[in-house]
Amino acid sequence: MNTEDPSQQLDIPLHVKYIKSLGESKDDLMYHLTAHLRMNAIYWGLTALCIMKHKEALAREEMVEFVMSCWDDEAGAFGAHPDHDAHLLSTLSAIQILTTQDALDRIDIPRVVKFILSLQQPSGVFAGDSFGEIDTRFSYCAVNALSLLGHLHELDVEKTVDYIRRCKNFDGGFGACVGAESHAAQAALAILDKLDEIDHETLAWWLAERQLPNGGLNGRPEKLEDVCYSFWVLSSLSILKKVSWIDPEKLTAFILSAQDPDNGGIADRPGDQPDVFHTHFGVAGK
Amino acid sequence: MYDFSEVEPLYAERPDWADVTPLQQYQGVDPLAPINYSTEYQDATDYFRGIVKTGEISLRVLQLTEHIIRMNPGHYSAWQYRYRILLALQLPLEEELRLMDQYAIDFLKTYQVWHHRRLLLGALRSVDAAAAELEFVARALDTDEKNYHTWSYRQWILAHFNDEARLWAGERAWVEHMVERDVRNNSAWHHRFFIVWGSGMRVGDEDRERTLKRELMYVKEKIALAPNNPSAWNYLRGILEHTHTPFSTQAIFVQLYTTSASTPGDVFDLDNPPPSASAVLPCENALEFLADIYEQEGGAQISKAIEIWRSLADEHDTMRRKYWEYRIKGASQT
Repeated sequence: MNTEDPSQQLDIPLHVKYIKSLGESKDDLMYHLTAHLRMNAIYWGLTALCIMKHKEALAREEMVEFVMSCWDDEAGAFGAHPDHDAHLLSTLSAIQILTTQDALDRIDIPRVVKFILSLQQPSGVFAGDSFGEIDTRFSYCAVNALSLLGHLHELDVEKTVDYIRRCKNFDGGFGACVGAESHAAQAALAILDKLDEIDHETLAWWLAERQLPNGGLNGRPEKLEDVCYSFWVLSSLSILKKVSWIDPEKLTAFILSAQDPDNGGIADRPGDQPDVFHTHFGVAGK
Repeated sequence: MYDFSEVEPLYAERPDWADVTPLQQYQGVDPLAPINYSTEYQDATDYFRGIVKTGEISLRVLQLTEHIIRMNPGHYSAWQYRYRILLALQLPLEEELRLMDQYAIDFLKTYQVWHHRRLLLGALRSVDAAAAELEFVARALDTDEKNYHTWSYRQWILAHFNDEARLWAGERAWVEHMVERDVRNNSAWHHRFFIVWGSGMRVGDEDRERTLKRELMYVKEKIALAPNNPSAWNYLRGILEHTHTPFSTQAIFVQLYTTSASTPGDVFDLDNPPPSASAVLPCENALEFLADIYEQEGGAQISKAIEIWRSLADEHDTMRRKYWEYRIKGASQT
C-alpha cells in the first residue's frame, strides 16, 4: 500500500515544470486568445514560483524586457500585451513583477501614478481603464499599485473608502459596486483600507460560511468551491486574524486534491484542467 | 450580420483593403512569450492595428471589429473602437443591440459584451430600449442564472432609467419567478432586497409595516420549502435588521426548525409555516438564529445561547468550531 499519498503533498518540482512550460506553448490555440491576460499570467507564474522558492526558473532579463514592451506611452501605463491599451490590472501586475525582480527603476513612476489617479471616478470607485468598467477590485488594484510605488499618500483615501463602505450589503459581505451582490473577492479589498471601519465579526462570519463540507471555499452562498478562493477568503480571514474560523486542514486537503499529478499545475477543483491562475492561488493558499 | 462561416480571403489578400498598411504584433521586440496566432486572427489584428494608426472610421472597420470580437471577445480595444464608430457614423444603436444579442449569450462571462450594451443604452436614453433590455437580460439569466455581470447590469438599468411604471413595476414578480426556479439562488435573493429595500420605495409599498409583513411571510414560506438555505436566512436577518425589528419576534417560527422532530399542529399558522416533511432537521441556520435571539434578549437567556453554540461546535457545524467557541467566549464575558 502506498503510504505516501501523492495527493496529500504539494508537488513543487512538478508545478515548477508546469509554469516553465507555459511560455513554450506555441501550438496552444488558447494562448493567443488570452493575450489580454498575458501580464497577469506572468505575475501569477512568477509569484507561484517565488512561494515555492524557485524564482530563478524563469529568466529575469527576458521577463523585464517583456514587461517594458507592454508600456503604452500614450497613456503612461502598461497594457496586458504589446500594443494593448493600458489597463489598471496589467499596470498593477507589471509593477508587482518589476518589484519582485528588483527592476522598479525602469518605470516612469510619476506618469504611472498620474494614470492610476486619473481612473478614480467622482463617486470614489476606480475604473479599469478609459473604457469605464468600474469595480471595487480596481480600487484594490489602485491602492496596491500606489503603495508599491511609494505614492499612496497621493490617494484621496476618504473618497476611496467611502465608496467601498457603500458596497456593504445586508448579509455582511461586500459587492463590486454599490448595490451588487456580496462576493468573496471584495472582502480582501474592504479590509485593505481601513480595518477599524469594518464590522470584523460579521465579515469574518460571512467569509467563514464560504467553506463547504468538502473543505473547499466558494465565493458566494450556494456556489461551487474554487481553489482561487483559498486566497481571497483566506487572506481576508488572515488580515482579520480569524483563519481558525474555518477548518484549515480540510482546506489544505482540498487544494492538494486539485493538483494535476501528471503535468503539474493546480485546477479550480479536483478533476478540472489546471491553469496558472489557480496554480498561483492554490500555492498561496497552501 | 456578416457571415464568417464561409471561407473568407484574408484582409491581406483583399483588394478593397490594399490601401491599409497592416502592422505586425511585435515591432522590434523579442517576445518572452511568443504567440502562435491562427493566421486568420493575426491577419485581422494586423489590419486593426493598421487602421488604429490612421484613425479610420468606416463601415469596413466596423465589420473588422466584429470579426475580431467574434474570435476573441476579450479584445477590449476592438470593442472600444467599435463603439466610437457607431457614434461617429450615427448608426442605429437599437440594431447594434439586436446584433449583439447572440454574442452576449455566447460570451456571457466576458465583461465587454455587457459593458458595450451599457454604453449603447446610455447613448439611446430610451425607456423603451431599457424595457426591451430587461427582457433580454431575463433571457440571458435563463442560460446562466448567477452571472454576476448580468445581475449587476440589470440593477444598473433599473436605477439609471428609474421608471416606476415601465421598469420597476414588474420587477418583484420577475425576481419571484427566479426564486421559484431555484430557491437557493443567492443573486436572486440579493436582487429582491435591492428592489424592495435597497433602491428607494416602490409604488404600492408605501405602508412599510405592510411591506415588512409581506416580506416576512414570503421568506418564511421559502424557508419552510427548503430550510437549509443560507440565502433565505440571510434575507430574513437582513430585513429584520434593516427595519430595526428584534429577532425575537420570529422566535416561534425559528423554533420549528431547531428540533429534530416536529409535531404538526392542528391549525396552519401563516406566520409560522412549519418545515416540509422531507426537511433535514435541526437546521443549522435556525440554530444560529435562535442563539442570536437568546443573545439579544440577554440576561438568563445567554446560557441557552451558549448551549446552542456548543452543540454547533461539537456536532452540527464542527468545521467552524473556532467561530462558535468565539461566540461562547464573547457571551461569557458580558
